[in-house]
Amino acid sequence: MRGLTRFFPVLMWSVSILCPVLLKAQNSDAPKNVSNTYFLKNCTLVSQPGVINRGHSVIIRDGLIAETGPGVRQPFDAQVISCDSLYVYAGFIDPYSNTGITKPENKERPKAKDPGNPPSDVAGIMPDLNAATLFNPSDKSVEEMRSAGFGISHTLPHGLMLPGQSSIFLLGDGPADRMLVRTASAQNFQFEVSRGVYPSTIIGVMAKFRDLFKNASQGLAYEEKYKINPAGLPRPDQSRETKALYPVVSKSVPLYFLAQHTKDVHRAFAMKEELGFDMVLAEVRQGWHYADKIKAQNITTLLSLNIPEPEKKDSTAKTTDVSKEKESFEKKREESRQNYLTQASLFEKKGIRFAFSYKNVKTGDIHKNIRTLIKNGLSESYALAALTTHPATILGISSMAGTVEKGKIANLVITDKPIFDEKSRIKHVFVEGKKYDMASQSKKPEVTKEKADPISGTWSYTVETPETPQKGKIIISKSGEIYKVTVKDETNSATDYEGVDVSGKEKNKLSFYINTSLDGNVKVDFSLSFEDKLFTGSVNAGHLGSYEIKGEKVAKPEN
Amino acid sequence: MIRNSKAKNLLLLICLPALAAAQDLLIKNASVLTVTKGNCQNCDILVTGGKIAEVGKGLRQPANVRVIDATGLYVMPGIIDAHSHIGIDVVNEGTNPVTAEVNVGDALNPLDVSIYRALAGGVTTSHAMHGSANAIGGQCQTIKHRYGTTNPDDLKMAGAPRTIKFALGENPIRTHGESNKIWPATRMGVEQVFRNAFSEARIYMKEWEDHKKGIRKSPPAYSLRMETLADILNGKILIHCHSYRADEILMLMNVLRDFGINKVCFQHVNEGFKVAPELAAFGATASVFADWWAYKFEVYYSTAYNAAILTRNGVVTSINSDSGELIRHLYHEAAKTQRYGDLTDEEALALITINPAIQLGIDKMVGSVEKGKDADLAIFKGHPLSVYAIPQMTIVDGIVRFDIKSDPDDVRVDVNPTEKYSTYFESLEDLDHNACMRGVSELLMQESHAQYLRYRYSKQHQH
Repeated sequence: MRGLTRFFPVLMWSVSILCPVLLKAQNSDAPKNVSNTYFLKNCTLVSQPGVINRGHSVIIRDGLIAETGPGVRQPFDAQVISCDSLYVYAGFIDPYSNTGITKPENKERPKAKDPGNPPSDVAGIMPDLNAATLFNPSDKSVEEMRSAGFGISHTLPHGLMLPGQSSIFLLGDGPADRMLVRTASAQNFQFEVSRGVYPSTIIGVMAKFRDLFKNASQGLAYEEKYKINPAGLPRPDQSRETKALYPVVSKSVPLYFLAQHTKDVHRAFAMKEELGFDMVLAEVRQGWHYADKIKAQNITTLLSLNIPEPEKKDSTAKTTDVSKEKESFEKKREESRQNYLTQASLFEKKGIRFAFSYKNVKTGDIHKNIRTLIKNGLSESYALAALTTHPATILGISSMAGTVEKGKIANLVITDKPIFDEKSRIKHVFVEGKKYDMASQSKKPEVTKEKADPISGTWSYTVETPETPQKGKIIISKSGEIYKVTVKDETNSATDYEGVDVSGKEKNKLSFYINTSLDGNVKVDFSLSFEDKLFTGSVNAGHLGSYEIKGEKVAKPEN
Repeated sequence: MIRNSKAKNLLLLICLPALAAAQDLLIKNASVLTVTKGNCQNCDILVTGGKIAEVGKGLRQPANVRVIDATGLYVMPGIIDAHSHIGIDVVNEGTNPVTAEVNVGDALNPLDVSIYRALAGGVTTSHAMHGSANAIGGQCQTIKHRYGTTNPDDLKMAGAPRTIKFALGENPIRTHGESNKIWPATRMGVEQVFRNAFSEARIYMKEWEDHKKGIRKSPPAYSLRMETLADILNGKILIHCHSYRADEILMLMNVLRDFGINKVCFQHVNEGFKVAPELAAFGATASVFADWWAYKFEVYYSTAYNAAILTRNGVVTSINSDSGELIRHLYHEAAKTQRYGDLTDEEALALITINPAIQLGIDKMVGSVEKGKDADLAIFKGHPLSVYAIPQMTIVDGIVRFDIKSDPDDVRVDVNPTEKYSTYFESLEDLDHNACMRGVSELLMQESHAQYLRYRYSKQHQH
């Protein structure tokens, strides 16, 4: 308590500093409910991919597009947006992501008593879970996606093998139920395993899915039979897991397969051919080997925008000292990268009507990565289709969204340059007729910088050794690209050790060693991997053994 | 620029033999070691449509065949490895003592460079096995080494019977009894796991029978695990059982006898020499290491004469690798039986050709140089049982998949576009000699030893 009062003046002071900022943020949304009618006057209207109309105006009324065209009159009650230098597009549609689903905290799971028969939630078998019940319009991902121009997300729960059902949401800021467009619109499958319990491998996952699917098939058939005449028949199985798969068995909803790698795509096809269901391939990164098959079987395909970045050249490295072997290795790697970058244009040439998917791409990279694909041969109109009309068709909502046409829902993106121009910036986004102004970009780098480095800070750690658990703190700071690490041992000696040879090149991973004074100056290697507010990893103390380490972020660094 | 690199990619693809159609071949003037039909000096082999069309002296050379001059070289059947874990992404689903329903065939990895390495040792077929963490592990997949393809199905050997991995002794006990405090915690417990599983499967089969007859109104819950066990009981799946100790080997034969199962291949079977007559009487086969033991307590009592003793007692015996490295020189492993046991050339070569083919149920198709069989051939400079033997060319289904004369430095089919290091580092996981238990350390230790190794090596590479 004393501490609190001591800090209170400081708190007051910081609030007063922050207040103008908060007020300003409020201001940007200020003209609320003055009128629900907008008049976008004299725009360059890209009503659908490839259709560019100059000098067109758009009337938005009650959440819908009331009128578009060159000679549209300004309604008396409308708020006017002068559009002379602006471009208007249909709001983008995201057919596959976790938008609006808050990621569950990485809680420590109690060790399963019988790893072969874990509870469904531990095993990751949650087909009865529905994104509609989890969607949170105030989750920051909603605003982020909206800021990137998206008006609709088809969102799925976080999870493992069977994470649950997708639902379609408008990315407005109203209550979840108001934002819901369609519930339980798809079932999902991922080659994601549950660590340490069944199914813990992809072969386990595939076997388990066959089992569930066959049970759902015979359960559905039996239920039909039971409905006709239940006399003398045992009651049908009421297991939620199997019942949730009935719509997949009866093909009333598709099964979305998260299939990034070429082998995942193959495995997805294998399961489909064996069991027979409507399949959507989602988040495909490396699907070009299957382009012809996808085309021939007319498989709905969502291409990942998570594309490989070129390796950042280390400017300090000696450029003269490159061996032939390394040179050819790098050449081959670059050729491989080209395959990833040209996948979208290959699919376009084959006439596959793909959309993009967004589960594994940072929202801030979406437009940059689309531009990269365009540089590698994807046409701009196809890219726009992959953002609008294609996902609308895939989700079965093309009568209400995907283009700027009279009668459609007023989801719009307004930019100051053509959308795929390097310098293009989104000025406004409309979601169901509600206008969102995009904040000035000057503040953005600050935010992204903080986000880009989740490792920095003070962390408490525990190493479980056969004797006493070792506890202490790890303090990580970053200047430029270089991490500095201090390990504060609180168990043995209350000594601070400097981290040596700190390597944080891999995202969310950090390795280093310390030279301790323990037991004859033992060198201890740390290898940590961070996720959100937790980390796990290993420490190796030479002859003293190798142990698991875990820890969590300390909320306020100690001074 | 784009077009340019695409053209290069295309070139690259053409270079890989995956897309090469089976070309007819005439291998001329070789010392042919047929394994089943004796040796033939200055002999030719005609290969058409991926099959061996003819073996004999002075064969007429048809038009449009590729001629391979094998003067001074030896040609033997493509080597077969009855126990390996290459070409698959998963080895162990080690979470339950019985996981009959899983199948490593679901996790084939045609991009695994180990396949090429095996080809470079003359190996054309291998038995990609589930590991030995569970008493009843998963189903295995017999693969042909058609390296160069990206399609996992291309590896599957058509017509090869289904097989499944069983395991006795320390591995299942350690994984389940010691780590998870469930059974099997003892060798007795392992036996009971088999008996329970088969008994359960019988009940399951009866329930379905009753349902089909209309005695039972509702269908029983479908279980892929029970379905698979039922297929074992019905003789549709061959058992390959990880084993060391003689007492346990006898135990499993008793269990199988009780449940009417008569086909089993014992893997490792280091104490097989103690029960060789019993194995022969049962009709069981044995797949052994040439001289590898003492890597854990239950493997202390062993001998390099194992393969010879088993062979002389009439047990169909093979020598296997269980390793992505050993698979590269199985011909040397086979030759060791001549030092330890005086096996004839033909007997020694049978250990890595026709005998493993019999154990995998594919001896009608491969395992010897005979008319009508698949054109899976290995060409050697020096007799393959000589310490100076060097594989020259390996042919699978009539397609040359390895040729020492055009053996590129980098044979990766799939290149990670953000990979920092070359292939050597990708394969470090295999450093753990006990490949059978791959994937289990992760379960036991959470942070796997393999990851740790990778980390260590990546650090070393940086400096």
